[in-house]
Amino acid sequence: MAHLTDGTLRRMVDDPDARAGADAGHLDGCMDCKARFERISDDARSIATLLAIPDARIDVSRAFAQVSRAPRSQPALVRLPVFRSPVRPIRLALVAAVMVAALTLVAFAWAGLFYKPSTVVAVPVTVADMQALSQLANYGTVTWTQQPNLQVATSAADASAAAGGITPPVAHNVPSGISTTISYGAMSQAVATFTFSAAKAQAAAAASGQTLPALPAGVDGSTLTVTVGPAVGEIYGEMSQQSSGPNNINLPQLVIAKSAAPTVASTQVSAQTLENYILSLPGISPDLANAVRAVKDPSTTLLIPVPVQYASATQVDINGQNGVALGDNTGLGGGVVWIGKDGYVYVVAGSIKQGDAVNIARNL
Amino acid sequence: MNLEAHRMSIIRSEDQAFEALFTSEYARVVGIANRVLADPDEAEDVAQEVFVDFHRLHSATAQYAPAWLHRAAAHASLNRLRGARRRQKREVAQALEEGDKTVDPQRHLEVSEDRRMVRAALGRLAPKPAAALAMRSSGLSYAEVAQALGIGIGQVGTLLRRAESALRKEVIRGTSN
Repeated sequence: MAHLTDGTLRRMVDDPDARAGADAGHLDGCMDCKARFERISDDARSIATLLAIPDARIDVSRAFAQVSRAPRSQPALVRLPVFRSPVRPIRLALVAAVMVAALTLVAFAWAGLFYKPSTVVAVPVTVADMQALSQLANYGTVTWTQQPNLQVATSAADASAAAGGITPPVAHNVPSGISTTISYGAMSQAVATFTFSAAKAQAAAAASGQTLPALPAGVDGSTLTVTVGPAVGEIYGEMSQQSSGPNNINLPQLVIAKSAAPTVASTQVSAQTLENYILSLPGISPDLANAVRAVKDPSTTLLIPVPVQYASATQVDINGQNGVALGDNTGLGGGVVWIGKDGYVYVVAGSIKQGDAVNIARNL
Repeated sequence: MNLEAHRMSIIRSEDQAFEALFTSEYARVVGIANRVLADPDEAEDVAQEVFVDFHRLHSATAQYAPAWLHRAAAHASLNRLRGARRRQKREVAQALEEGDKTVDPQRHLEVSEDRRMVRAALGRLAPKPAAALAMRSSGLSYAEVAQALGIGIGQVGTLLRRAESALRKEVIRGTSN
């Protein structure tokens, strides 16, 4: 038998589990390893003495009270990297929550044979839910048939041209105090196909120490084709980049966006099968599962995930259409999402009051 | 569906889970930081920052919560150690304060000097072995250290050996200077 490694010998110094079996037998009979073991033990002892320190006397209740007073911010999963700012991290959290999480949830939870939403409903999600859902991306491979192309334009006409002809909505009730500097954003249509893989799902779950429910028959190899956009938006406020790089954009005060409703087409599996499977994943809360199951007509409903710890949601009427109004709990932001009679998804959000957002929405 | 009721019940259960996590792990997180910094007050600062950061980004019910906290405590305290100037000031103050309380000022000065030297040396080690040593010497098991660093349990001994050997050399070099 080869000599024991330094690492094995070191572990034998103070881990009773390591002092058994063939390694222990070898150590007993090998002078060379014994000598190294002694040297390693001496080093371990002298370092332990050097690092010795009186125990800290702590008051857990007092410490917890201090930590509880620290302000919370938005969970990282609903922050878009480009919008991260040390100064105003909350500003676009609502937009980020709506756009990122809604699309994730829509794409994976409601894959009907063909899905095109015409109304919106809020569902509560926790940080754990978002983590569980974000895991789904590891359960297969994503291929872009058409990459999204994001552009910032200085005129509505340029933005419209970049977004396949959709014209940006014009706001009539912008509250005073909002910057009159307006720029326009445009995103071209993007198409991505996700192919489920049973092997990748098991590997991803194993890597995070979880056991997955078995993939239902037909899910392995099935595909979801998600189409998002094109979309255009009006952005109120400075977007000038600072010298320290693209992650430090001054966040806009108000964003009004219009997007073609996302569509999802799937092969092989039914929406019900996929829904049941996704809702049984480890980490999905019963509250989210119940809320999703309570939706009456899934094939025409866009789910708007509301991060419950940070934002509250209420149903509002936008000129006869259902809307979800959001307000973050810090009082720094408000927004509303709805699908218009024309079939487009609209978002009004920013560092404005929820009431102002609804007012803008009703007068677009 | 009553969304507000759902919302409140989820917030309540998440807050309860965080309090339970805090109660069960706070002492260990402080222990890791204190082992690195040799300063209980600063160790508590680090521990509280670590918990606040965790609570911002993660659910307290996540299985990886204790491992995340242990690793963050080791890294955050080692980072502080490397911000040397501030630490040295504190240590002078601490040595003076401890000197007041002791019957043998000479001995206390020696202890403080040893602690200062070994911590300075710890700050110069590679991050992973240093973190393994901080966690193990504060009482975490081999399995817990492995989990916190995302490595196999067999590698913990290797990292500890590397850290102790490097630390011994650093201390000897410091003494001979």
